[in-house]
Amino acid sequence: MTNSVSEADNRIQVEIFPQRLLNAETAQMLLSELNKVDGVLKALIHGPRLPTMVSAGPGTGEKVNHPDRKVVQIADTVLELSISVGRIRLEVADADVKEEVRAVCERVLPFPFEYREGLYFHNRVTVSDYAKYGPDADVEMLGLSDPKSHDPICILGSTE
Amino acid sequence: MAYKPQYYPGATSVAANRRKHMAGDIEKMREVSDEDLTAILGHRAPGSDYPSTHPPLAEMGEPACSVREVVTATAGAKAGDRVRYVQFADSMYNAPATPYFRSYHAAINARGVDPGTLSGRQVVEARERDMEEVAKVQLETEMSCPGLSGLRGCTVHGHSIRLQEDGVMFDMLDRRRLENGTIIEDKDQVGVPIDRKVDLGKPMSEDEAAKRTTIYRIDNVAFRDDVEVVEWTQKVWELRTRYGFQPKN
Repeated sequence: MTNSVSEADNRIQVEIFPQRLLNAETAQMLLSELNKVDGVLKALIHGPRLPTMVSAGPGTGEKVNHPDRKVVQIADTVLELSISVGRIRLEVADADVKEEVRAVCERVLPFPFEYREGLYFHNRVTVSDYAKYGPDADVEMLGLSDPKSHDPICILGSTE
Repeated sequence: MAYKPQYYPGATSVAANRRKHMAGDIEKMREVSDEDLTAILGHRAPGSDYPSTHPPLAEMGEPACSVREVVTATAGAKAGDRVRYVQFADSMYNAPATPYFRSYHAAINARGVDPGTLSGRQVVEARERDMEEVAKVQLETEMSCPGLSGLRGCTVHGHSIRLQEDGVMFDMLDRRRLENGTIIEDKDQVGVPIDRKVDLGKPMSEDEAAKRTTIYRIDNVAFRDDVEVVEWTQKVWELRTRYGFQPKN
């Protein structure tokens, strides 16, 4: 495979795992603060889904109207939270940025959190990526989308 | 001296709570009216008669049967009620009850019930008014915390998910939420909106939940701290293993 991020890169992948699920306001505040940190290259938010309709049982089809399903604004980009934010995975430029991100979390989150380094985004094209994106997949986009979701990847500052 | 059942071993608070749930020796902590309970169960309109599936037993002319003479029918069976269910989900973060202990409580303390125990939810099926009786006891007493447990006919996965920021168990269908310090439920157990806001009372504080829980947790009372429970668990495991070992040749 040739489609991979350079191994000489100093990039680090980290995961922020708060003790509680974030409500929409805290999630917006944290994401906005993280957006201000130079060197955050990719972000992925993960958590339990907030559906618009009941999808199982006798109440199927009823509207849910979950209060945490809110439209949030990060920089100039507006997006609807369709999950309750439970963990945030980031790819950052180097170890200094990692410590800056930790400081932001300590400032914003009102409860403890776990902060760990690992491999959270794949950086080589998999067979599934090849099937979805073809031979010229952009490695920067790999691992950022939920295969089941129809929502596009959000690029901050982009009008698309 | 009268015989007193010894339901569960152990010297810790968790073991004591397990014994209390099984014995039905539980403290009432809140009041939920019959109409509110009927509304959140969602099986019939509050205040309406119980629909029946057969005529009352007294009108049916039952056959002569010694078992029927010995076993008194429950109120629901006498009236010919339909069989309906109540299902609870309890958070793994120190909820007072767990599916097993809800089942033990129902099976030991109520008649005519069919408790079903699953990993994250517990269902009781019974004649409608018998089921309501069990549901009311479990809802109004220390077996439930409005913030950490709830009536959930479907979509129960909040039990194993971290709590929300306000300390309430996550509910994807937003059946109930914290409003002015109390838990308000405005949907029935399967997520269909109801015409009222049912006040389920104040959630327990973290300390109180830790004191009343029946869950062994490493960050509260660890299972291995309860020497007697470990001993009995190992004994039961050994005996059932020996019993199950039956070489045919």
